[in-house]
Amino acid sequence: MVALGFRNAARSAPRLVAVTLLVGAGFFLMLVMHTIGRAVEAHTQALQRSVDATLQVRAAGSMGHVNMVAQSDILPPGALDKVRAIPHVEKVETYLLAMTPTEGHNFAMVVGFNPGDTKRLESHGEAGTGKIIAGRDLTGADRGKRVAVIGQGFARWAGIHPDRLPAELTLDLTRTHPVIFALERPAAKLSIVGVYASGYVFGDMQLFIPLDTFREIYGVPQGLSWLYVKADSAASVPSVERAIRAALGDQADTIAPTSVAEFQTTTTRSVLRLTAAGMALSALLLAVIVYFVMLLVVRQRVREIGTLKAIGAPNGSIAAAFLAEAFAYGLAGSALGLLLYFGFGAHLAKQAFALAVGPFIPAQYKDTQLDVLRVSAGLDAAQLALIVAVVALVSLAGSAHGLLHIVRLSPLQAMRQE
Amino acid sequence: MALIELRSVSKAYRKGRAEVRALDGIDLSVSERGMVAIVGPSGSGKSSLLHLVGAMDRPSAGEVAVAGQALGALPEKALAGFRLKTIGFVFQGFNLIPNLSALENVMLPLEFAGLAPNERRRRAEALLARIGLAARASHRPAELSGGEQQRTAIARALANDPPLVLADEPTGNLDSKTGEMIYELLGDVARERTVLVVTHAEALARRAQTIVHIQDGRLAGKG
Repeated sequence: MVALGFRNAARSAPRLVAVTLLVGAGFFLMLVMHTIGRAVEAHTQALQRSVDATLQVRAAGSMGHVNMVAQSDILPPGALDKVRAIPHVEKVETYLLAMTPTEGHNFAMVVGFNPGDTKRLESHGEAGTGKIIAGRDLTGADRGKRVAVIGQGFARWAGIHPDRLPAELTLDLTRTHPVIFALERPAAKLSIVGVYASGYVFGDMQLFIPLDTFREIYGVPQGLSWLYVKADSAASVPSVERAIRAALGDQADTIAPTSVAEFQTTTTRSVLRLTAAGMALSALLLAVIVYFVMLLVVRQRVREIGTLKAIGAPNGSIAAAFLAEAFAYGLAGSALGLLLYFGFGAHLAKQAFALAVGPFIPAQYKDTQLDVLRVSAGLDAAQLALIVAVVALVSLAGSAHGLLHIVRLSPLQAMRQE
Repeated sequence: MALIELRSVSKAYRKGRAEVRALDGIDLSVSERGMVAIVGPSGSGKSSLLHLVGAMDRPSAGEVAVAGQALGALPEKALAGFRLKTIGFVFQGFNLIPNLSALENVMLPLEFAGLAPNERRRRAEALLARIGLAARASHRPAELSGGEQQRTAIARALANDPPLVLADEPTGNLDSKTGEMIYELLGDVARERTVLVVTHAEALARRAQTIVHIQDGRLAGKG
């Protein structure tokens, strides 16, 4: 009887075509929604992987440069331990900063850090890293030593040629500038072992030295200018930020990439809900289509149902035939939907995604993330199995009323419609 | 031993507010084998009687027993099984499934009975050969003449070898020549089982061993 059900689907060619088109369109929409949802999830994961989940902490109201006019407050002792104890904090990098006057570029930065940590560039709020282009980088063995790596801009000002390393550089802490005050400390001679380039003019005006060397030169036995706090994921950023504020109170300012977190927690969730609702609506639409088609089919075949009952067909066999017919309509429609999907699905999903998500994406990500967004119309075996399951479920749901009518129909009632 | 036993069987229908008594206190006994013709004017209750015997309907009162089985006590599911094994139906309008071939139509009851596909085919082919339609086995009903369709329907009725065949005006949609062919076939079938036939056709009634006259829902005579 199941075979008969599949054959019955082809009894009326116009009906088969109409149902296939209707179910196919609904199914196509469902697949597009699914693709958008998948793209949003992938997009979020990419953001989580690629976006900097790092917060910056510095003394409240201060740049934290130890010799900068009105900006020399640094984080108090104990701040580091408090931050390290916060859940979801993966790593904390510590920095001490000072400034030294230069001609032409006004001043350069002197950064004390732990060799091996990121050489962050303090320049107009940009935080990046430099690449060693000559000599070598600092290592753990350099701790406490008077060694440094220098940005190529600073090196040029100081007359240090990348091909002639190591070279010597003297830091004169008594020199001043409108925003730099003198420190009555002895001049410090440093051995320049490497030159880095950042591709950014102000980024190249820095000098990296070991943190303990910095403390000794500048006479800062404790406290820190900046902490770079790396959360274990972008999702943890908000909670880490709250914990830092709670731990350090008014002592510190925290700068967090909240836009990423906001994107993740609001946009992604909203779009996922929208696509889930769209899929549910599409499935409902399919069920409604199947419902009306099967209602029509059952009414048209009442006499046939009566005949089958009269010759001894159990209700289950008749219902199986009609369910198979509904499933056949679903399969034909889903096949068309799949064809449309592979033809136009990815394009439509990308457009819909851009329309839906675009307004929520922070400006700095819009150009890159949308362009590199991977929206593909691929389906794996598990997704295909899910599709078959959805078709079966929708067929069952849409046929339920018709099947109930079949079961309740007595053979005589059916025969009387002869 | 009687194959069919009806005791004080009545059947009433509601038609709007009015009650129509289709059958009124029928007592009837039909033996195994042979043809029984039920005759009477239109609306006399012939088809209602056939439906009760065929377990397609339940009496308002009285008892119907077929092949030793009291039908009143059987639930719907058991009635389907009863119809499958005990009754073969032949309808005036043939009632073949239009998108199945003659062979597939005959195989249907065998599928419901749970026979293996090969066995279904073997038995259906044998039945079609018996009624002279072996060459038309692969044809769909629309490709068969009225007589061929009714012969196919008779083959379908015989598929599960039931002891009782019920035929409701089996020649009503056929010309006299084709009808004669169906009479012969039903007469042949009645040699090995009981054939209960509702008919207006006197020629067919004359072939019956027993004629039951129904008038206004009552048994008007049997002979």
